[in-house]
Amino acid sequence: MIVFKTFLRVLNQCKVPIILYTVILVAFAGFNMQASDSSAGFMASKPDVLLINEDDNTGITRGLTEYIESNCTIVDIKNDEDAINDALFYRDVHYVIYIPQHYGEDFLNGLNPEIQIKSTGDFQASYAEMLLSRYIKVAAIYARYIEDEQELTAKIGHTLSKQTEVEITSTLDTNRLTKSALYYNFANYSILAGCVYVICLILSSFKSEPIRKRTAISSMEYKKYNRLLLVSNSLFAVVLWLFYVLLSFVLVGNVMFTAQGLVLILNSFVFTLCALTIAFLIGNLVKNKNAVNGIVNVVALGSSFLCGAFVPVEWLPNSVLTVAHILPSYWYIQTNERLKTMEALNFGTLRPILFNMGMLLVFALVFTVAANLVSRAKRKIG
Amino acid sequence: MFIHNFKYAFKTLFRDKMLIFWTFAFPIILGTFFNLAFSDIESSEKFDLIKIAVIENDVFQNNEIWRESFAALSDADNAERLFQTQYVSEDEAQRLLEDQEIAGYFVLTDHGPTVVVSSSGIEETILQYVTQEVSQAEEMIQTLTASAMAKGEISTAGDQNAFYAQLYSEVMGIAQESEPRIQNISSENLSYTMIEFYTLIAMTCLYGGILGMVAVNLNLANMSNQGKRVSVSPMRKGKLIFSSVLAGYITQVIGVSLLFVYTIFVLKVDYGDTLPLVVLLTLCGCLAGLSLGIAMAVLVKSNDNVKTGIIISVTMVGCFLSGMMGITMKYIIDKNLPLLNRINPANMITDGLYALYYYDTLDRYFVNVASLLIFSLVMIVVSISGLRRQRYDSI
Repeated sequence: MIVFKTFLRVLNQCKVPIILYTVILVAFAGFNMQASDSSAGFMASKPDVLLINEDDNTGITRGLTEYIESNCTIVDIKNDEDAINDALFYRDVHYVIYIPQHYGEDFLNGLNPEIQIKSTGDFQASYAEMLLSRYIKVAAIYARYIEDEQELTAKIGHTLSKQTEVEITSTLDTNRLTKSALYYNFANYSILAGCVYVICLILSSFKSEPIRKRTAISSMEYKKYNRLLLVSNSLFAVVLWLFYVLLSFVLVGNVMFTAQGLVLILNSFVFTLCALTIAFLIGNLVKNKNAVNGIVNVVALGSSFLCGAFVPVEWLPNSVLTVAHILPSYWYIQTNERLKTMEALNFGTLRPILFNMGMLLVFALVFTVAANLVSRAKRKIG
Repeated sequence: MFIHNFKYAFKTLFRDKMLIFWTFAFPIILGTFFNLAFSDIESSEKFDLIKIAVIENDVFQNNEIWRESFAALSDADNAERLFQTQYVSEDEAQRLLEDQEIAGYFVLTDHGPTVVVSSSGIEETILQYVTQEVSQAEEMIQTLTASAMAKGEISTAGDQNAFYAQLYSEVMGIAQESEPRIQNISSENLSYTMIEFYTLIAMTCLYGGILGMVAVNLNLANMSNQGKRVSVSPMRKGKLIFSSVLAGYITQVIGVSLLFVYTIFVLKVDYGDTLPLVVLLTLCGCLAGLSLGIAMAVLVKSNDNVKTGIIISVTMVGCFLSGMMGITMKYIIDKNLPLLNRINPANMITDGLYALYYYDTLDRYFVNVASLLIFSLVMIVVSISGLRRQRYDSI
């Protein structure tokens, strides 16, 4: 009990960083989880566009603005060049269209007036440009044959409203699942940093020389002492894990009650075990309390950046991912990623996931053995 | 005496391993992570070929418009190529879709065109859009033919077919010559990963506060034995503290220079043509960090660890708000709570560098430089008033 009480006392000292890691996790999650519509049917993506119309909103110009408005998400930004530039840089808007004065008139006179745009050059912007040039092209063709402006815009509108039928094969709510996977990916950082930080500090407190000497000559059996320490540390890790799981139910919601959600939770548990062994190894290697902070940051930030906890995996360069294979976080995050689009859970689809979990356990085993070797080598005092 | 104290303060700072780790090594390590993680992020957002499949059936084979459209959009020589297309059977297409090797597939039957996808997304939307475009072109020609018939320009069915064919080639001709004139006037400097490196510089500058704090602590009688000894010496306090703080500043500048050398030559970060202005802003940033550290050393009556904790927390929260953990954060704060970022020294540095990179004019840059100087001045004035006339009868 004494060991456990001391453990709690040390734990109380490091509550601030734990709260900090949790706040960062919640901030990140809340940020990415702003509820968007979850629907099983096909929804066309709408690029974020800003439309600045200097022309009268009539005739052909009106047709154009209506077409853009119905096919894009019009972003609300105040008409100020600096605000627009900022919005473009931070990808609040991907495409800005400036319709010049007398555009409609010039267009009907066959002048093919120029339209200025600002673009981020990514997928959304390219799609917005396709929509813009589509309208202008259709309008240019009809304008050759039809004189009357009203008839012209009606015909253009009619043609452009023709839809293709889209069938969607998956009924999976990938949107929500993606978000829960995102949360668990980010939890990689919080779990790892939390476990390593706390456990290292606790181990180094117990390891300071006067305390070690005192326990060494006490009547308490060496093995029992070690076992208690191990149990209390594991208890902490499990409580931390439970806390983050509960948090995921609050933040992500219903999708956690599906089979995929269950596997996500299970996976995070296996990862927590692995993090625990990493923490033990580092705790055994490092004596200096001051160094713990630095090591936590390098280990946790490093594996989070390299394995795709912060940056989506598909955006990481392949070379980085190849190197990441040697880190446990990689296997943890790969499982989360697979679950995003997994429709049916059966032995075939679960096999790669079980393999990933197996890898995590192998890592845990390796770290435990290494931690034991290190602690044996360091047992002697002075 | 000034030089003597300066020399020893400098040596003390350099021998503190933790200090050197946080101010020299940590930013470089973090920069390396940023570089590894973000190096592909922007190119992967660029428009890439979309992998699709087309079901090869009789209806598709017999429809010239559809066949040619897909061939043109998948042609490697076409500058406007969109797709990487496989022509397969329906079963094969379903398998490819399930394995996520294609974004979707296209089927043309007697009932019309259909697009099959597995989820909603931008690639799927573009596939849908393109098929729509082709059916719209078909529809357009039909509409024009119909209106020509209504006006009585053509009457017989034979005429209609000929008219239809002629119209088709005419329309394609118009579509080609009336290429819309779209001019891109956006700035070329749109790489938002630059912000990450700016926050890194901001972090390094502010972490320098720990150096300032340690340097001042060396001279405070209530902080260290060394401080007691120094305090009873006849040397003027102002001189003492100034020489220690100067040592802190120079150590900090060395740390930031290392970061610059590393990011420019190893990570190949491009700070643009305005490097001298970047350096000027960074020097002001270092001053702000240093003065923050001095103020913490003077105002917080607690031990070293608490003071360091406060400086690190202020720095991390400041960097978080100025976009280190995701640049959207900076934008959200700038837009909704501008005052918060106005007084956030990390954001002054980040925003100044951003203004330099993205804006054509220097107004916003100089506003940030001035803010940093004012921030430093306030911190220094507060520290001086806290340090003045400190006397201890016993300690």
